[in-house]
Amino acid sequence: MSNKPIPHAKSAAEWIEKEDHYTFHDERLWDMRQKRDEQMHLLPEWQDLREQASRLKEHTLAHLPHYLEQFEENARRNGIHVHWARDGAEHNRIVESLLKKHNKTSIIKSKSMITDECEMREYLEPRGYSVTETDLGERIQQLDGQMPSHVVVPAVQKLTGDVAQLFAKYYDTDPASDDPHELAEAQRIAARPALLTGDTGMTGGNFLVAETGTFVVCTNEGNADLSANLPDLHIATLGIERLIPRMADLGVFIRLLSRSALGSPITQYTTHFRKPKKGGEMHVILVDNGRSDRLAMDDFWSSLKCIRCGACMNTCPVYRRSGGQSYGAVYSGPIGAIIDPTFNAKKFSTLPFASTMNGSCTNVCPVKINIHDQLYKWRQVLAERHEIPFVKRALMKMAGRLLAQPALYRLSISGAEVALKTVPRFALYNYFNQWGKHRELPHPVKETFHSWYKKNRLNKEKGAEKEETEA
Amino acid sequence: MSDGMNMTARDAIFAKLREHKSPQEDAYPLPPVAVFGDCDASPERFAKNLAQMGGKLLPRKPGESIAHVIDAAFPARQNLCTAVPEVEGTLRIEDLEDHYQANKVDVMVVRAAFGIAEVGGIFLSEVELKEHLADVHLAQHLVVLLSQAELTGNMHTAYRDRSEFKTAGYGVVMSGPSATADIQGVLIRGAQGVRSLSVIWD
Ligand code: SF4
Repeated sequence: MSNKPIPHAKSAAEWIEKEDHYTFHDERLWDMRQKRDEQMHLLPEWQDLREQASRLKEHTLAHLPHYLEQFEENARRNGIHVHWARDGAEHNRIVESLLKKHNKTSIIKSKSMITDECEMREYLEPRGYSVTETDLGERIQQLDGQMPSHVVVPAVQKLTGDVAQLFAKYYDTDPASDDPHELAEAQRIAARPALLTGDTGMTGGNFLVAETGTFVVCTNEGNADLSANLPDLHIATLGIERLIPRMADLGVFIRLLSRSALGSPITQYTTHFRKPKKGGEMHVILVDNGRSDRLAMDDFWSSLKCIRCGACMNTCPVYRRSGGQSYGAVYSGPIGAIIDPTFNAKKFSTLPFASTMNGSCTNVCPVKINIHDQLYKWRQVLAERHEIPFVKRALMKMAGRLLAQPALYRLSISGAEVALKTVPRFALYNYFNQWGKHRELPHPVKETFHSWYKKNRLNKEKGAEKEETEA
Repeated sequence: MSDGMNMTARDAIFAKLREHKSPQEDAYPLPPVAVFGDCDASPERFAKNLAQMGGKLLPRKPGESIAHVIDAAFPARQNLCTAVPEVEGTLRIEDLEDHYQANKVDVMVVRAAFGIAEVGGIFLSEVELKEHLADVHLAQHLVVLLSQAELTGNMHTAYRDRSEFKTAGYGVVMSGPSATADIQGVLIRGAQGVRSLSVIWD
């Protein structure tokens, strides 16, 4: 894996050129954010839920060895095999050894960020194993050779036409189709034979319940329940931070998760696995992969509370306008920007700058992670470690701010001499040219970006940050 | 596991967690179990939320048989597979020979252990499914019998009060049918699992 810093801003600039994608992405995610708000307003107890969720997660993380032991003991008692993996490579070797032992070759898999984190497909496929993603969004990304763009909606950066093109190639459907129903049906039809013949089912999981040795999977499409239950071998991969103490605590998280993610009261399926099925075998692989290191970091350990709802991504003006692919990491958006550098500080050194520091992410987070504070702290850490030179740092900060239109733009243009419509693009392209990208400016402009910036930034930034912040 | 390599991984992870953990145990006590919000367990609340999640409540006239209600709702169905004694169907779930046969089922009838009013959800485990865990999800349509006496108010009361969460090997709360919004945000009911989920009070 290359250590080169991810050119977040450059990728974002390319993204912005695809105007219809950019507009749809921005609006779709904002719509998810608004649906989340509607759900929040329906529950007077919303803040109590967040507080309880946060306290439960903090307690569990502070007592992680205890609860891991408890989970392991209970799961084993119920007949589940529990494995431990220090990193992705170890995880992949465990999966491979299980497949070898049982003489299996074809995995049907439901969505799980952690197997992407482990780069499991990349490991298994060249070794002769087939890995079929069965979640629609994840499958779209797999066919296109891309990482998931979003933790909840992996292919949110694509339009129907993109999916039609892709499915035409692999599923022999109409490349001109503009009907999402038709395309989703094509996936259903294509997935069935794979599901029926796959010899190993793999899932991730959202929660581990220490008290009962249960793992819980929250999904919508039904593919996880099929993938897990059809074959005789079920392997589930979860991070060690996924624990909660008691079954009675689960309600707090289930009530928050889908409401925060999609604005629906619950996922269509909330599945609890406590024992292997009759005649089947069940394995849980608990993965560390940097989590124990993160738990030792005073400023960043609480990012482990994350339940991967994606709300911070949906609300983030920079994420909405730059797209998940521009982060170059498995985890994108604000949460990605605080956990990716723990995997590789150099490679992901630019990501903590992809933020306006408006605090909206922190406000929507169902487990009350102080995301924007942690972004700020990362900037300090990375600056101290000289992971990025000063000039780039200042410019990257600007990228974050500029992507956060319309708030900043509206304010900034009030004092600028350029026309309203030209400012955003002008400013962005100037900025992005720092990465050597050549592109003609859309319109002649009177002012350089830097003079504009100098003139406008000081007293304007503060006000702009407020605008998108949830009250 | 007896696997030597794995034992090392486990020990290494625990050693790290015990030595370097930042949050201190005393600073983060376990909060008591919380039950928040509306605990109304009425059939009306259940029905409203079932509809929101894309599920249907099949109307049933007094004295009308369940089989009749199903026939009225699915006039074109061929294979009707049943996991309940109340409905005869064309085949019993216990008699399904393999998943390919289940894949041809048009309508599956099961009885839920309980329902959750807050989310219009129904609970199924290996007990209700007679160990045919995948087959219920292979069917095209699902019909669920549910007793109004077996409703719980919300997710807190469900996890606190329903013992099934601690006894079932496989337990799924289904709130409406399978769904996806992965293509350009368009909500599609009937993704890869059942295309529809209907509840009959019984
Ligand atoms: S950081 Fe918070 S808001 Fe973001 S994905 Fe995690 S839980 Fe959700």
